[in-house]
Formats: sequence, structure tokens, C-alpha cells
Amino acid sequence: MKLNYFSISLINVLLFGPVYAQTERNPEAVVFPNFKVQTDESGINHQYTGSWEFFVGGGGAAFDCNGDRMPDVVLAGGSSQAQLYKNISTPAGDIQFESVPLNVKESDLTSVTGAYTLHLDQDQHLDIVLLRVGRNVLLRGDGNCGFSKANRRFDFDGGREWSTGFSAIWEGDSAYPTLAFGNYVDQSAPGSPWGTCHDNVLVRPDSDDFTSNPSYSDSQLLTPGFCSLSILFTDWNNSGEPALRITNDRQYYRGGQEQLWRVPLDGAPSVYSASDGWKSLTIWGMGIAEADLNSDGFPEYALSSMGDNMLQQLDPEADEDQPQYVDVAFNEGTTAHRPYEGDDSKPSTGWHTEFADFNNDARTDLFIAKGNVSNMPDFASIDPDNLLLAHPEGGFIEAGAEANINLPTQGRGALVSDFNVDGQVDLLVINREAPVSVFRNLGVKESWGARPSGNWLAIELQQEGVNPQAVGARIAIKTGNLTQTRTVSVGGGHASHSNGFIHVGLGVAERASVRVRWPDGNWSHEYRVFANHHAVLKNGNDKPVYWYPVFR
Amino acid sequence: MKFLLLCCALLVHANVMADEPLPWAEVTHELGEIDALPAGRLSKRALESLNQTGKALFSAHFTPADGAGRPNATQAIIPTKTRRTREHVLLRTAGPDATACASCHNQPVLGGASDFVTNVFVSEGFTQADFDSIDPQFSNERGSNHLMGAGLIELLAREMSRDLAAIRTDALVRARDTQNDVRLELTTKGVSFGFISASAEGLVDLNEVSGVDDDLTVRPFSQKGVMTSLRQFTVNAMNHHHGMQAEERFGLHVTGTDDFDGDGYANELTPGDVSALVAWQAMLEPPVQEVPNDEAWIAAALRGKSAMENFGCTGCHKESLPLESLDFFDPGPLDVVGTLSSSSVEEPAIYDLSLTFWADQLTRNEDGHVLVPLFGDLKRHQMTDHKNEALGNEKLSQRFVDRTRFMTAELWGVGSTSPYGHRNDYVALRDIILAHGGDAKVSKDAFAAANDSTQLDVVAFLKTLVILP
Repeated sequence: MKLNYFSISLINVLLFGPVYAQTERNPEAVVFPNFKVQTDESGINHQYTGSWEFFVGGGGAAFDCNGDRMPDVVLAGGSSQAQLYKNISTPAGDIQFESVPLNVKESDLTSVTGAYTLHLDQDQHLDIVLLRVGRNVLLRGDGNCGFSKANRRFDFDGGREWSTGFSAIWEGDSAYPTLAFGNYVDQSAPGSPWGTCHDNVLVRPDSDDFTSNPSYSDSQLLTPGFCSLSILFTDWNNSGEPALRITNDRQYYRGGQEQLWRVPLDGAPSVYSASDGWKSLTIWGMGIAEADLNSDGFPEYALSSMGDNMLQQLDPEADEDQPQYVDVAFNEGTTAHRPYEGDDSKPSTGWHTEFADFNNDARTDLFIAKGNVSNMPDFASIDPDNLLLAHPEGGFIEAGAEANINLPTQGRGALVSDFNVDGQVDLLVINREAPVSVFRNLGVKESWGARPSGNWLAIELQQEGVNPQAVGARIAIKTGNLTQTRTVSVGGGHASHSNGFIHVGLGVAERASVRVRWPDGNWSHEYRVFANHHAVLKNGNDKPVYWYPVFR
Repeated sequence: MKFLLLCCALLVHANVMADEPLPWAEVTHELGEIDALPAGRLSKRALESLNQTGKALFSAHFTPADGAGRPNATQAIIPTKTRRTREHVLLRTAGPDATACASCHNQPVLGGASDFVTNVFVSEGFTQADFDSIDPQFSNERGSNHLMGAGLIELLAREMSRDLAAIRTDALVRARDTQNDVRLELTTKGVSFGFISASAEGLVDLNEVSGVDDDLTVRPFSQKGVMTSLRQFTVNAMNHHHGMQAEERFGLHVTGTDDFDGDGYANELTPGDVSALVAWQAMLEPPVQEVPNDEAWIAAALRGKSAMENFGCTGCHKESLPLESLDFFDPGPLDVVGTLSSSSVEEPAIYDLSLTFWADQLTRNEDGHVLVPLFGDLKRHQMTDHKNEALGNEKLSQRFVDRTRFMTAELWGVGSTSPYGHRNDYVALRDIILAHGGDAKVSKDAFAAANDSTQLDVVAFLKTLVILP
């Protein structure tokens, strides 16, 4: 295996040469966001720790646990306890949190690898899914940052696997979400860890009774599993029917590959194969992010890995409805296959990956958390996180150093969220065996301070009753000739997910026309919204409602 | 030997001269003259100097060597590429349609309005960059407003926007404290913009807001009331009408190129150039009421003013609005990225309008506030109804504002700026008054019901609201 890593590294060097040999893009044409490290003053005292089982994972979730629309966070701790922090930031000020006790059994809060949040029941309060090495835990929120374990209430066993990925979607007319768990190595199997991967699990609610609780007593195995590290429900073919994209770690599987599953409501799940056009791809798959970068209705996928990171796009030569992807990472400048600074030219190790517009220029950027697995000598030991900014002429340009996020930490999960609700996306990176990194986005650095980099919009979707956050909805944001799209999803990343306002950079536009394809497939009328606002769009309402953070 | 030395000297001289345009070169010498963005409170002398440059730029006939023309860019406010390279530098419909600001804003003085012949065609320029027809399905045809007193107008709008935002915050705080919905009237300077309702969770309901955008920013410029500031309008208009692209909207950091319009000239308007243009416009003398030396006219004007009040015209055409401060910050507080704003610079400049020769002539109220005699309310109104559709002659909404809603026309200067109406196609004051409908229907009906003599009295009054030559 070490030989393989080395080979990959060598191939990169031989084929691609130094990082700068990729297409030259003028850095002066890009506006660099400037992040200020605010870990020490953030009030967060948290590390992701532990031995081999916690070399992976290290995620968390940003979400609003108390209804004030400020993103709070829950962080996985590995061998340490998972922790909840309430956001007490001053709007447009420093990022600050305070610890809030999670009043559940200590044993449920340890061995946690990641966290996702969603509405599991109908009480309109966000709930938490804790991924664990062992039984996964559902925590039911009370709307005031209080949580209680709800496995029994929701008839959810939680399994015994080593879970590292999660995604959820509301299927058809279901009152409750379908849950998908991505599982990693089966440690109890003979020969473990090599070639012993757990199957992944699909859990559909038994009951569609809107007035009761969901029941998650039955689960379906998605066999074969290939040691998944990220899983995401995605409408890859713009059909309105979600499929399940799974990225897998070749470190441990045998004969495995990346996967895309059909999960029809009225039939058995089945994996797309070569006969469907699916091309086998074997990578050290760590995280998935999706974004429709060219607004053609078909999402692109960023897959983090060791060495080259992938950027997959539907092959334009492929037949319609064939999930045949080509990797455009090299042309787009997103391979990020080695550290962009320092003397260590060994391959990088990528983990959480997420698209967002960090400089509000109306172009979608890409963040990748980086860090050596632990002490793997064939991979870079100093491996700073990447911030790949979209370039006006196409492709991406590395900006981690210019943006001041180039810390020598071992990043894992990350939360990309506007913690101080100033319209500029901030960043919280969960590091292994080190404190989290909290980065406040100040805007564009100037000799006298900072200035806003671009205009923005933050969108919250609301529906009455079922699926109140409209998970599965697609949002089209139009400014001039440009249409950007966003998808409301729960899942992907690396054991991490940010819930809440959906951020869109608007560049120099003062206003935007927004249309929503609600989860039922119906497109909304045009909402007319003004830039630099938090807009709440409710299904059925004529006009947006604006939210103002004047409460502190 | 002497000849060689002379040649060398001439060559050196020529090289030095190469950096400086020849006096007769077809370029605008004042471009780039303001090399640093003005900051802080400007002295009278500095202000006059800036003003002088601004006036020169406003009057300049921009040439291709200045960067005029936009072969690869549309007139759109958001930088937008054309589908094909333009063949003509000037194009009457989609623009560029003028070589100078002064080509249109010249009646009766520089900075004034213009006749029907200089109407412009307003379209967003995103998908229909070029259009050969002036059919209203492609664009809205608009007359050129005068800019006299524009600085005072923008200052009023800034204060009104500030007041409305404060009411919104008040409603939100009260809703939070009481945990109940709070509904407050949005009133500033005696102008009501409806009601705002705030909920305890920080949401605001805007269904009862009227006459102002949902972000509660009073945008005082354009017939439609959709432009925030002189700076924004200047940047827009420079691109639209001249193909002169400002760095702050079209520059390298926004578009990825310093020559977005592809005419071979980079950074055609610096932030300093725009500041000079803003300063000059902001300091333009406001129109006045000039009472003619004619007893009959004086009496008629008095009766006319009284009749306008009785008809309810002054409900919207308010005689004056009070202004607290004459400090004109540039860049201003309300613009967003794409136009420089106060938050985009280290220190904005302050143009103290009290330093102008005309400031002392303005009346002040008991609070010391300047009474800006605009005869307007800086509010948008519905201008048509099913019986009065004359002013509903546009087919395109603009910037979220319906076709039939327009900003109350400020009447100051109306006596000097015939013709009238947003299309500049009403030649007589009586006709434009009778074209009113919608929110103005009751007042219009009262005017229409009045006898000819009273109607003429109103005209007599309006003709006293003039721009001094």
C-alpha cells in the first residue's frame, strides 16, 4: 500500500509537474477573502481525539438549536465527548460560543465520529443524528438547545457498525425522512481491517402517520459496502428522484469502487453498474460535495481523497441518463494533490469538502480540509486546508495562504456557515488531536482594515408540516444573465454538515430573482429579493419575509 | 555633431512628451486627474478643485482614446458581455447614445434636463443587448431629468432611509421584548410608506409597505426611483450612454479583466473620476421659485399654489422636506458592492454643501433643518387606473417596480424643463396633470373639474419653479 501511495505521488509529479504547472490563472483577478483566526476567543474548547478508529471522522454540524437563527454547533469528539455550543456572536462581530450541556448519557456522547441535523419528527425543532463507532444515536431537540435520546421513541436501533457517513431525504409523500448511514470497516470480521467493510444501511420510516412519531425499525442493507466515508442523497440526473452517492476508501476495500445507488420507493435498491454507464473509480474517498457549477441542472461532485481530489462532471459524450462521469479536476485546478506551501511535496490527504462562495463574487468556491491520517510517512505531514477560489476566467485558484487558513493542523470535518450573520461565510474546522480552528471571514483585506468582497443573499426555505426545511428543494438564483443553483440537502462532506440559511454570493448585483423547485417538484413563482439580506421563502407565500439579526 | 545632439534632444523630448497627451489630442485631459480618492472633510478650495474636474468630465465629449464605446459589453448594470462585437461606437437605442453627459443634461443650464429628442431607452441589457426598434416591448423610453439640487435630494433620501431602518429596528426590538407581533407606521419627514410588522423571531412582514423597496432604502433617482445614489447612477450611466466603464464596477477585481468592454482601454474611469463627477452633481444649485415681475402672474401663482393644495396635489408634491445635515458623504452609506460605499473605503470624503454659494438661500425651520423645496415626496406611487392609463405606457417593469408605478416627479425646476412626463412627451403642463391617475386620481379629477381660470392659475404657479440660468 505504501508503494501505491508513493506511486501515486510520483505519477502526479511526472504527469502534472509542480502545482503551478496547471493552467496559469491571474491571481490579481480574484478577490481573496481574509480570515481571522478566532479559536482562542471563540469559547470553543474542543478536540477530536482517539486512536485508529478515530483517524477518520471528526465531524460536526452547524444548526440552530434554539430558534434564534444563529448557527450553533455540535462537534464530534472521538474518544472525547461530543459537545454542543450555542452561538452568542454579535451580528457582524467576533464569533463567540458558549458551551451547553448535552444531557444524555456520557456513553452516547463518546465514540462519536460525526453529526448531522434535521427534522426527524413533526415538532419543528431540529434533531441530531450522532454517528458513532457503535450504536448511532438520535437526539430529539426541544427548541431550546435541550436534547434527549430518542432511539426508542423513534424505534431506531442504531446498529453496531462504525458509521462515518449520513444523508437524509424525504421520499415521495412520506411524512418522515429516509435515513442512509455510511459505514466503514467491520472490525469484527475475520482478517479485519483489510477487505472487511460494513454494508451501508438505508432506513425508511415505517409510518406515514403525520400525527405520530416516525418508526425506523426496519432497515435495508446496501450490499456490497466498500468502507464508505461519505454518503449523499442527490438528484444526479435532474429527475426529481434521489439516488445515493457513496464515496469509499480504497485503503480497506477489496474489489470495490465508488458507488451510485438507485433507491426507488417501489423497488429494491440497486447499484449502477458498467452496463448503466457507470465507470469504475477507486480512490481514497473521504468526502462528497455537490454543486451545479455550470447551472445545467446536473450537479458536479467534488470527491476528496489522498493525492488527487476529484471533480466529477457528467460526460457530455455520455448517453442521456447514463451516470458516466469524467474528472475535470486537473483542468479546473482542483486536484489540490499536495500542500500548496512548505517544503513537503508528498501527497495531501483531503477530508471534508464543501462548495460555497467565500468571497461573494457570484462564483462557487471549494474548501477542502486537509491533514495526515495520523503519522503516515508517505503523505504530507504539514498539510494546510485548501481554499480554491473560482476564477473569473474559469477554473479555480488556490487561496489558502492568502486567506489565512493555512494552519499546520490535521483537519477532518468542517462547518461552512455564516456564524456572525454578516453575509460572509465563516469556517470552523474540526482538527484531530488539536483544538478546532475558528475562522472569521472579514472580507477583503485592506491596509486600513477590511471591506465587503461582494453582495450576498441568505435564503431559508420553509414548508408547512412535512419536511419543513424543504430538503431536496432546488433554488435558482438569477442576477442578470447569471443563474446560480443551490440544493437543500442533508448529508455528504466528511461526517459534517451545515444546516440553516443557504448562502449565495451575488457579486455586484443589488437584487436577485429567486425561484424554488420545492420537494414536490413544483416550481415556485419568482421571488424578488434584495441583496445583503436574510430572506425567508415560504412555500405558498407571495413575497419573501426578511430576517434581521437585531437581537443581541 | 551639433545636429546629432539636437536629434537626441528631440528624441528625449519626444519620449517625455509621449507620456503626456498633446494639447490637441482627442482625449479628455481631466480623466485620471484625481489620482487619489478624496477623503475627509474637503476644504472649500479642495471642493472647488474637485468640482472643476467634475464639471469638465460632465461636459467632456468622450472619445475612443478615452475608452468610450463598449464593443463587447452591454448597457446592463451588472457587467454583461454582448453576444457579438458591436459594429458601431454609438447606437441610438441600446447605447452608447451620447458622447457627453452634457449632451442631454443641458436645459436650461449644464446639469439640466432635455427635450424629447434626447430620450433614452432603458432596458436591463441582459438578453437583449442590441435592439433596433424603439417598440416599448424592448425598452422603456424615458426623458432626461434635470440634476439641479441632486445633492440635496440624495441627502434627503439617505436620512429617510436611515429613519425607516430605525423604525424597522424599533419594531423588531419591541416584538422581541413583548414576544408579540408589532406593527409600526413607516413615516419619515412627514411621508408615510405604509406599515411594517415584526415578529418576535425577528421576521418582518412587508405586505403593507408602499412606495419604497422592501429593503426600505429610498432610491431617489430615475423616473422610477430605483437608483440609490449619484455615484451609482454615474457608474451606470457612464457605461450605458458612453461606454466609459468605471473600475469600481467593471474592473479587474470584479470581472477578471481591466478591459471588460474589450475596446483596448483599461480602467476607463477611476474611483477619483467618479468622485469628481459626483461632487459636481451633488453641488449643483437647486431650482428656485422665481416670482416674476408681473402683478397678475404673482396673484395667479398664489392662487395656483393654493388650488394645488386644495386639490390634494401637495399630498405627494410636498413643497419641502426638512434636511438635517448638509454633509454629503461620498462614497455614501447606502450603496452596495459594485458602487463604492462608505464601508468600502478607509474614510469617505465629505462635501460640505453649506460651502456652496446657494446654501444660505435655503430656508430653515425652527429646528435649523434646511427645507429642501423639491415639491416631491421621494416616494413611488401608482400612476394609472382603469380610466386613466396614459402614464401606463411602458411594457417592462424595472428593477422589481411595476410598469405603472413611478416616483413622484419633483416639481422644482418644472418651469424650465418642458416637456414633461416620464417619456417627456407632454408638451403642456395642463396635459401632464390631466394624465395623472391611480393614487393621483382624486387630485387630478379635482383639477379637471376646476374652471379654466383655476387651471391656468396652477400653471402660473408651476412656471415660477425654475432653474436659474
